[in-house]
Amino acid sequence: MRMYLIWILFVLSNLSFAQKSNDINPIKVGSKIFTEGQILGEMMTLVLNEKLDHPATAQLNFGGTKVVFDALLGEDIDIYPEYTGTGYVFILKKENLIRDPERIYKEVALAYKERYQILWSPPMGFNNSYALVVRKDDPRFSGISKLSQLPKDLRSFRYASPHEFMERTDGFRSFKDFYQFQFDPSQIMGMDAGLMYSALKEKQVDMIMAYATDGRIEAYHLKTIKDDLHFFPPYWAAWNFKEKTLKKYPILKEATELFHNLISEEEMIRMNAAVDEYKRSPKEVARNFLIKKGILTGKVNKKSSHSKRGVLEFLYQKRFYLYKIMKEHIQLSSLSLFLAILISLPLGILLTRYQKISGPVFAVINTLQTIPSLALLGLLIPLTGIGFVPAITALFLYCLLPLIRNTYTGIQGVDSKYIEASKGMGLTSFQILKTVEIPLALPVILAGVRTSSVIVIGTATLAALVGAGGLGEPIFRGVATINSSLILLGAIPSALLAILVDKALSLAERKLISKGLQLQEKR
Amino acid sequence: MIKVEGLTKVYDSDIRAVNDISFTIPKGKIACIIGTSGCGKTTTLKMINRLIEPSEGKIWIDDKECHEMDAVHWRRRIGYVIQKAGLLPHLTVRENIELLAKIIKRPKRERLKRSNELLEMIDLDPSEFATRYPIELSGGQQQRVGIARALMEDPPVLLMDEPFGALDPITRNTMHEEVLHLNSKLGKTFVIVTHDMEEAFKLGDEILLMDKGEIVQKGSKEDFINHPKNDFVEAFVTQQLNRDNL
Ligand SMILES: Nc1ncnc2c1ncn2[C@@H]1O[C@H](COP(=O)(O)OP(=O)(O)OP(=O)(O)O)[C@@H](O)[C@H]1O
Ligand SMILES: [Mg+2]
Repeated sequence: MRMYLIWILFVLSNLSFAQKSNDINPIKVGSKIFTEGQILGEMMTLVLNEKLDHPATAQLNFGGTKVVFDALLGEDIDIYPEYTGTGYVFILKKENLIRDPERIYKEVALAYKERYQILWSPPMGFNNSYALVVRKDDPRFSGISKLSQLPKDLRSFRYASPHEFMERTDGFRSFKDFYQFQFDPSQIMGMDAGLMYSALKEKQVDMIMAYATDGRIEAYHLKTIKDDLHFFPPYWAAWNFKEKTLKKYPILKEATELFHNLISEEEMIRMNAAVDEYKRSPKEVARNFLIKKGILTGKVNKKSSHSKRGVLEFLYQKRFYLYKIMKEHIQLSSLSLFLAILISLPLGILLTRYQKISGPVFAVINTLQTIPSLALLGLLIPLTGIGFVPAITALFLYCLLPLIRNTYTGIQGVDSKYIEASKGMGLTSFQILKTVEIPLALPVILAGVRTSSVIVIGTATLAALVGAGGLGEPIFRGVATINSSLILLGAIPSALLAILVDKALSLAERKLISKGLQLQEKR
Repeated sequence: MIKVEGLTKVYDSDIRAVNDISFTIPKGKIACIIGTSGCGKTTTLKMINRLIEPSEGKIWIDDKECHEMDAVHWRRRIGYVIQKAGLLPHLTVRENIELLAKIIKRPKRERLKRSNELLEMIDLDPSEFATRYPIELSGGQQQRVGIARALMEDPPVLLMDEPFGALDPITRNTMHEEVLHLNSKLGKTFVIVTHDMEEAFKLGDEILLMDKGEIVQKGSKEDFINHPKNDFVEAFVTQQLNRDNL
C-alpha cells in the first residue's frame, strides 16, 4: 500500500501540465518529423519571436503528413509548412493531369480553403519535388540539367529509386513512358530511400530518383536533373494555416509573406546538408539564413558548433534535451502503467469471480493487443486528437493484457486447499482474497507488471509520432535523416531504462513476495 | 457435543453423497468416521463446518443449531485440520497459527502468549520454530502446527480429515498420542475422518462406519469386533486389521 502511495507521488511530481501563461497566446509552429520541416519551422518561430515580436513556440516533433494535417485541423498547432504536391495528391487525392505548376498551386489553395478552411501562403520559392539525381563528376551528364536534354536510350545506366516509387502506378513506369526513356530492366532496382544516396556516391548506381532538396545532394557532390516537362506535380513549399487562425493572429500574413520566394532550391539543399551532414542544429541553420537574408540582425555563426564529435561529447551537448525527453518518456510510461495497474488488478480479480464474462473480456483485450501499435495510434487520433492523450491511451491498452491475464491466472492458480483451509477457519471471502489469494498470486501478478513495464517503455518510443515526445523523438528524427547518433540518443537510453526498471522491479519482487514463497520456489 | 440429525447431501439431483445420517458425539469424546473411498466421509465433515451446505438435516454444536448463525461465525467455533495441514506457505508458523486471531483483532500481546503456549504444547520451541515457513518444517511438524492453528481460538470442537494419512508410522503414533493427550487435557470434542481401522480403534470412543453415504454401524471398538452388524462390517474390519497386521 505504501509503495502505491510513493508511486502516485512520484508520477504526479513528474507531471508538469502547468503551462507558462502569457498575455498573448504564443503561435504554435508545427512541422513534419524531418529536417527540412524542422528548419522551416524554426525559421518561422524565429521570425515571429524576433522580427515581429509575437511569441511563438516550435512544436516540430510531429509524425507524417496525416498527423500534422490533423493537428492543424484540430488546432493543436497553428501553422506548418506543406508542399503543393502533397496537398494535391495525398490530401486532395487528385491525379496529376494538369502540368502547369501555377494552376496546381491555385487549385490546391482553392480546394483547401473550401474544404478545410485552410489557407496557403505564397510559395517560399523552392520546389522539393522528385528529381533525377546523378554524380556531379559523371562525364556522361556534363552540361545536362533538364530531363528533356537526356538521350532517350538510357540502357547503359544503372538506376535506383525508393521501393514505393517502383510500385506506384504514377511512379517509375509512367515516368519512363512520359519522357519516352528506355531502361535495361536488369539495371533497375528498388532501394531503401536512405541507402540510395550512398549507392550513387559509391558508383554502385548511376542515377537515382530523389527529393530535389535533400542535403546529401550537396554533401555527396551530386546534382539534380530537372523535371522540366513537369511530369511530377510541383512540391512548392508554403505555409498552411486556418482562416480562423489568421483572424486571431493577423500577424501571420506579414510573417508568411516574408517567406515569399525567400528560399531557392540550392539554398534549401545547403541548409538540409548543414543539419543532416554537418550536424548543425536546425535552429542555428535557420538563424544564420535569416541573418544572411537581412531579416534578422546578428552575426552569422560560421563555425559548426559540433563537427566531428565523439559520442560522449554529443551526449553532453544534448544533455538538456536528453533530460527533457527522458522525463517525458518516464511520465508517459509510468502514468500509463499506473493507470493500467489501477484498472487491471481489480478487473483481473473480478474476472476470477465472474468466470462467465472472462471469456469475452479476454477476447477483447487479446484483440487490442494484436493491433499493431502504429495502427492503434492512427485509430486513436480521430478520437483523442494528438499528443499526450492518444499516447497514454495506446500504452495503457497495451499494458492491460499482461496485467489482467497475470492477475487472473495468478488468483485462479491458487491451490484450492489453501482457500478451503482459510474458509474452514472462518475467514470471509474478502479476508481470504486479501490475506491468502493476493499474496499467493503476487509472484505471477508482479511478473505481469514487469512484462508490461518493459513493453510500455519500448512502445512509448512511438509516442513521438503523435507529438507526445519521449525518447522516440530523436529515434524517428534520426531514422528520417539517417543520423545514427540521433537514433542512438533515443535507443540507448530507452534500452537502459527498460533494463533498469526490470532490475528495479525484480528487486521489488524480492521485497514484496513472501520469503516462504521464495523458499518454495527454490526447492 | 455435536448432534447431527437427518443430514443429507444430494449432488446434481440424483447423487446422494450423504443420505440421511444421524449421530451424537458427547462432549469430550472422539468420534472416528471410517469407510470405503467415496462413501461420504469428507462430505459429512464439511457439512458440519458448512464448507458444504447440507441439502437437508440439522446440526447442533452444544446448544446452537447451525442455521442460527452465519457460516463464517459458525466456522470460527470449529477447529478444522486437513491432510498435509493446509498451512499457508507465505506465512510463518506463528503467522499461520495467529491468522484468525489477528483477523478478529485480538490484541498482539494476547496472541503472542497464546501462540507460544500452543507451540510449546505441540513440542515446537517457539524461539526456533515461530519464524520458520511451512516449507522449512517436516510433515509431522506441519501437521502439529495445523492442529495448533485449529486450537488458537479455543474452539469446543475439532474436525480432522485424514490428518495423519501422509505420515510415517512412527510419527503417526506420536501424533495419536498427542491427540489423545489433547483430548483428555482440554476436553475437546473431536471428529476424525480416517481410512485406517486401527487408527479408528485406537482413537475413537465412537466409530462410525459409512458405506454409500449411509452409516452402517456406529459403536465402540468392542461393538465392532464382537457384534458386527452384518457381513460388510465383519469383512471390512477383518480385512483392515489383517492388512495392518501383515
Ligand atoms: N461436487 C460434487 N459433485 C458431485 N459429486 C460429488 C461432489 N463432491 C463429492 N461428490 C461425490 O460424493 C461422494 C462422497 O465424496 P466424499 O469426498 O465425501 O468421499 P470420501 O468418503 O471422503 O472419500 P475418500 O476416502 O476418497 O476421501 C463421492 O462419490 C463423490 O464422487
Ligand atoms: Mg475424503
